[in-house]
Amino acid sequence: MSTIIPDVALIDNSDERAPLVLVLDCSGSMQDDDKIGLLNDGLKTLATELKNDPIAARCGRVLVISFGGDNDVELMGDWTDAMDFEPPELRAGGLTPMGAAMRCALDEIESQKSQMRSAGVSYKRPIVMLLSDGEPTDEWQQVAADCKAAESAHKVNIMAIGIGNEANRSILGAFSNKGALNLQGLKFKELFIWLSRSIQAVSRAANGGTVQLNPVDSWAQINT
Amino acid sequence: MKWKVFFASATGKYHLDGNAPCQDFGHYVVADDVLIGVVCDGAGSAREGQAGAEFFARRVIELLTDAVKSGKFADLSEADYSAFIAEVVGAARSELEETALARELTPRDFACTLVGCIASRHGGCFFHIGDGFAIYMKDDGDSVLSRPENGEHADETYFATDPAWREHLRVTAIAEIRQGGLIGLMTDGTSPFAVNRPKTGFYRPFIDPVVNFLRNATEEHGSEALKNVLADEKTYQITPDDKTLLLALAN
Repeated sequence: MSTIIPDVALIDNSDERAPLVLVLDCSGSMQDDDKIGLLNDGLKTLATELKNDPIAARCGRVLVISFGGDNDVELMGDWTDAMDFEPPELRAGGLTPMGAAMRCALDEIESQKSQMRSAGVSYKRPIVMLLSDGEPTDEWQQVAADCKAAESAHKVNIMAIGIGNEANRSILGAFSNKGALNLQGLKFKELFIWLSRSIQAVSRAANGGTVQLNPVDSWAQINT
Repeated sequence: MKWKVFFASATGKYHLDGNAPCQDFGHYVVADDVLIGVVCDGAGSAREGQAGAEFFARRVIELLTDAVKSGKFADLSEADYSAFIAEVVGAARSELEETALARELTPRDFACTLVGCIASRHGGCFFHIGDGFAIYMKDDGDSVLSRPENGEHADETYFATDPAWREHLRVTAIAEIRQGGLIGLMTDGTSPFAVNRPKTGFYRPFIDPVVNFLRNATEEHGSEALKNVLADEKTYQITPDDKTLLLALAN
């Protein structure tokens, strides 16, 4: 009798999730120059790019948090696998509660991590991308310090990005140990293509290794 | 109800390339229709991890077998399992400490994970410290799982030899075992391909062909076939780790 068992599928089901939280400014000023429209298009680009990469589509986990209105922070849907990510339609209006939005991002990451842990699903270091064209209209100092501390503890990788000349770079920079970058013009599309490539790189990285992200020169403003 | 038990362990690519032995160890006994099985993964970072895995697997099974034969296990209710298992694991640990001391080593030198079960048709429990998986799949596909517990980082886990082992000992009750049920115990080398992606049960395209084959095989022949599956070179693409799997069919 044969000792070869036929038709046994041997594939890897253990790939680690790469969580991504987008914290997006939807305050009134985002209507100017139709920044909100370009941001919405950028999210669509992100969704397409992630889905086109088989590994990122499986591993990416996306959550969108918007802030605006009457100091409102809103979860635009639940965490979703990149393969199922349908970008929300963001609308601009109101204030800039950046502090509360980043607090929400930190809390969501911790609860998502603990859910994944209890399910036996492992994960990479989450990426938080904060995008704003202004400055906070709420308390932000303590949250910013907590963001930096979480980054120092390797719990999260935070990217703070300013849009246009009105973005307060020094406050944005207080949310990350790497400081803030400014978007070159309105290159939202390039930014989201780069972000998708970053998630692809993180999804492929070996356990515990550090990930070298691609250069940001396709979208970041170079300081002179 | 009778148990049909298959067990196999295959050395991973990492140890094969280094001409090193397999650091997994597993063992089982069926006593008075009670299945007692344990698989352990000796820590790669521990000097005597392999010896630790073998010691824990053998000794925990001996102590549990004694409890079955003396009638103690049959008298337990679900609420008693945690204390009962903690007593057994604690006793094995104390013996290991003495062995370590006599050899001028520490328990840490024997670090290993622990995935086990003790179950009859009236039920029983899984017990677990660290990574690996234990799964009871009913004949309708519904599953009871004991999942891995890892640290903040993916490659960190907990060991039966840790001073804080009690905090990490997890006991999962199984209400009853029905005919057609399947119990699986595995180390973390096996789980990437034997467990499904959402971690809610076995990966069916893996386990179904295996179980179909095993139902018609003798224990000896089936275990040999199971070893061939675990040693398949396709697994090298998935994990460099040692792979151990115990499968018990309830007939």
